[in-house]
Amino acid sequence: MIKFHAKTRLTLAALISAAFLSACEQPQKEESKKEEPNTAFESTYQAHSYHPVLIQNATILTAAGDRIDQGSILFKDGKIVAIGQSVEAPADKNLEVIDAEGKWVTPGLIDVHSHLGVYPAPGVDSSADGNEMTAPVTAEVWAEHSVWPHDPQFELALAGGVTSMQILPGSANLIGGRTVTLKNVPARSVMEMKFPDAPHGLKMACGENPKRVYGNKGRSPMTRMANIAGFREAWIKAADYKKQWEDYENGEGNGKAPKRDLQLETLAGVLDGEILIHNHCYRADEMALMMEIAEEFDFQISTFHHAVESYKIADKLAENNVCSALWSDWWGFKQEAFDMVPENVALVEKAGACAIVHSDSPTGIQHLNKDAAKSMASGNAMGMNITPEKAIEWITINPAKSMGIAEQTGSLEAGKMADIVLWDGNPFSVYSKAEKVFIDGALMYDRHDEKYQPVSDFQLGQYDLEVDAQEEGAL
Amino acid sequence: MNSLLMKSLVKPVAATLSVVSLMASVCSADTTLIKDAKVHTLSSQGVLQYGDVLIEDGVIKSVAEDISVDADTVIDGKGKVVTPGIFALINQIGLVELGSQDQTADGQTEHEEQGASFSIDKVYNHNSTLVAINRSNGVTRTLVAPQIGANVFAGQGAIMSLKDQYHPLIAKDVAIFTAFGEWPAEMTGGSRASVLFELNKAFDEARAYQKNRSAIEQGDFRELSYSTNDLEALQAVLDRDIPLLVNTERESDILTMLDFAKEQNIRIGFIGAAEAWKVAEKLAEAEASVFVDPMDNIPDSFESLGKRYENAAILSKAGVNVMFLGQGFLASHNAYTVRLSAGNAVAYGMDYDKALAAMISTPAEYFGGSDAYGQIAEGYKAELVLWNGDPLEVTTLPQQVWIDGEAVNMENRSTKLRDRYKALDTDKNTGYRK
Repeated sequence: MIKFHAKTRLTLAALISAAFLSACEQPQKEESKKEEPNTAFESTYQAHSYHPVLIQNATILTAAGDRIDQGSILFKDGKIVAIGQSVEAPADKNLEVIDAEGKWVTPGLIDVHSHLGVYPAPGVDSSADGNEMTAPVTAEVWAEHSVWPHDPQFELALAGGVTSMQILPGSANLIGGRTVTLKNVPARSVMEMKFPDAPHGLKMACGENPKRVYGNKGRSPMTRMANIAGFREAWIKAADYKKQWEDYENGEGNGKAPKRDLQLETLAGVLDGEILIHNHCYRADEMALMMEIAEEFDFQISTFHHAVESYKIADKLAENNVCSALWSDWWGFKQEAFDMVPENVALVEKAGACAIVHSDSPTGIQHLNKDAAKSMASGNAMGMNITPEKAIEWITINPAKSMGIAEQTGSLEAGKMADIVLWDGNPFSVYSKAEKVFIDGALMYDRHDEKYQPVSDFQLGQYDLEVDAQEEGAL
Repeated sequence: MNSLLMKSLVKPVAATLSVVSLMASVCSADTTLIKDAKVHTLSSQGVLQYGDVLIEDGVIKSVAEDISVDADTVIDGKGKVVTPGIFALINQIGLVELGSQDQTADGQTEHEEQGASFSIDKVYNHNSTLVAINRSNGVTRTLVAPQIGANVFAGQGAIMSLKDQYHPLIAKDVAIFTAFGEWPAEMTGGSRASVLFELNKAFDEARAYQKNRSAIEQGDFRELSYSTNDLEALQAVLDRDIPLLVNTERESDILTMLDFAKEQNIRIGFIGAAEAWKVAEKLAEAEASVFVDPMDNIPDSFESLGKRYENAAILSKAGVNVMFLGQGFLASHNAYTVRLSAGNAVAYGMDYDKALAAMISTPAEYFGGSDAYGQIAEGYKAELVLWNGDPLEVTTLPQQVWIDGEAVNMENRSTKLRDRYKALDTDKNTGYRK
């Protein structure tokens, strides 16, 4: 009965919201509302300039379904120009031709779950800025305002082939704040790293963390049922805020603009479909509850993160078009991570749902290719036939889709950003390393050329690891 | 290998051997023959490209290019690789279920009287979920080590077999664990100097205890800070029978502890050791062993700014005895992934054979048990793993694990959950699938 009542209200809410959405399509009012909150902190990222490059004779995994043996890829002015079995070298005296015999090319890797910059190294309290643990709902905070661009972990991730990443607030809160998508480039401010036109995400967290953090403070939520209540209360407020603005824009009410509320602005952004939900959620039963909330308030969950139990509801995830961001085999550090199967990624793939391998770790982000390799091997041991050209999608185009940047990057196709990794061997081997990493067509990392190995302000003058190693004469 | 260490291990190893022979008689004369596999013998035989391994009564009977015997079980090893089982190091397997739930963990105590003497082998739980998952993934023995609680000493480590029986002890009290650096400094009063003060005090008291046992026991001696249990435990370190293993990261801390070991005339090893590569020669000279996590290059504290992937390779090339730790907070639950860490050490310059040894034979030689484990050679325990490829490779998986010649059950909670949920498209009635 209660369920039926809720559904009835949902239907009405959906109808009302649909009506207002169409009202919002009047361009002038749309602009007056949208522009104000979004001008600050805009991306000032600029691709580095670099000459055109043609890589030849490589094994190319396009992440668009293909493996091209002895393939070529041409990129220029930041964009992929051509890719295929044979690409004609243009007449350009600046063209650099790289013979990649025995080497592999993939899109730049993308980590959908990282805390680089917000939990930088070294991990001292004074720069641990990832969790605003003062209230269970802090939708008003933005991870980008905590990002320290000089975190030396960024350059380690770059050497691991990572060209873009989503930085999220931590998981202490039910609603932790906005995420930000970055290009992995050295910068003086976070604006210089922000991925142009990438949508914001919103971090939410199910389960043990919020109820532990606030329960221990004697506050709600102390239980999983209070977690759910906390989410619903937030979305009720958000729906109301959204309606206030829509009324204002439609000339209804007293004609006064509602007062801006940073928290509700972010939540309303989700209801408007402009901000993507990234939901830390381990257990299948809790993911099912979260999908009910999404239905109740008419929003879409982009991705469940750390979804150790996705394999239990892979069919539902496919139905609801929700991605799963997963580790290959982490388990047991808490109860909700107890039911690990190393076939999780493969089983999500098998169900036709969107599978992502993520890190949540400054170490793991350097080895996304190897974690994907482990998941591929586990799936194949179960009788699936997961090829490298499929597995590469888990760490490139699928996270790009999850983050809303798949039109620009994540696969090797003409016209897309030239975010490219040249590997010294099969990337699904423990022995292979990223040799060259290009971001928007510019060489940002070269394992064999110190000139292209960035050093953070923090590391500068601390240890010159490369030189020291040569002095040791040991390697 | 220090001969004094071996002396100390004679007793526990002998005790274990008697357990083994008991098991063997139960199993009768079972024979298993693995044919045509690539065999890493870790002995003077090196690598056999198409080798046969014959197992009889839980022990390796022979290893050769071609063995023709009618075995009870014949395993086709073509395209596969055989190594001894993995010896996981310095973790909490059997002592913890959930990292976040203290009531499931026994690897740490706040009890004031239990510092150096804190010994955990008797509370090892062979039915732990961690044992089954690690065992079916190739870990056959582990050095369980306590973590620091209230005392500057964490306690004693024990080598346990991952076989499915109560108290599968291989060797007891093989090292005493402590730490020197930021974290123990914070616990001890705020400065590394206070940690050093405590360590010196403990060893001075241990020496006093050695000379004045009866006076101390009768209460005719000055008051001591450390319990007699702890001072008793430290005797094995003073006698150089077992090493003191120190969690230390910073170059200067490593050197300070090297000095300390020299002054105290004790054997020392370093755990973590982020900046050990900077003093590789000195460590080699002092015969100090180093335990590194080859996956960790994060400068995550001001004492580990020089951390790097090449640590293991540089140390190893300088002649330091290098062994591998598991991966950070996953070191117990995912202890089996140490083989992939070893692969990373190789990718960053370490010799392959040394990397393989660093998680098998090197710790056996260092801690004990190397007379029966660590090589695939006649007379050694049949404690083996058959892999479907290079064991250090990320796409390789174990096919079968043997402990004392018995093929272990490769099923665990994880495989059962997989089987329960792998066919959601045809049957959602999962609760009845077992």
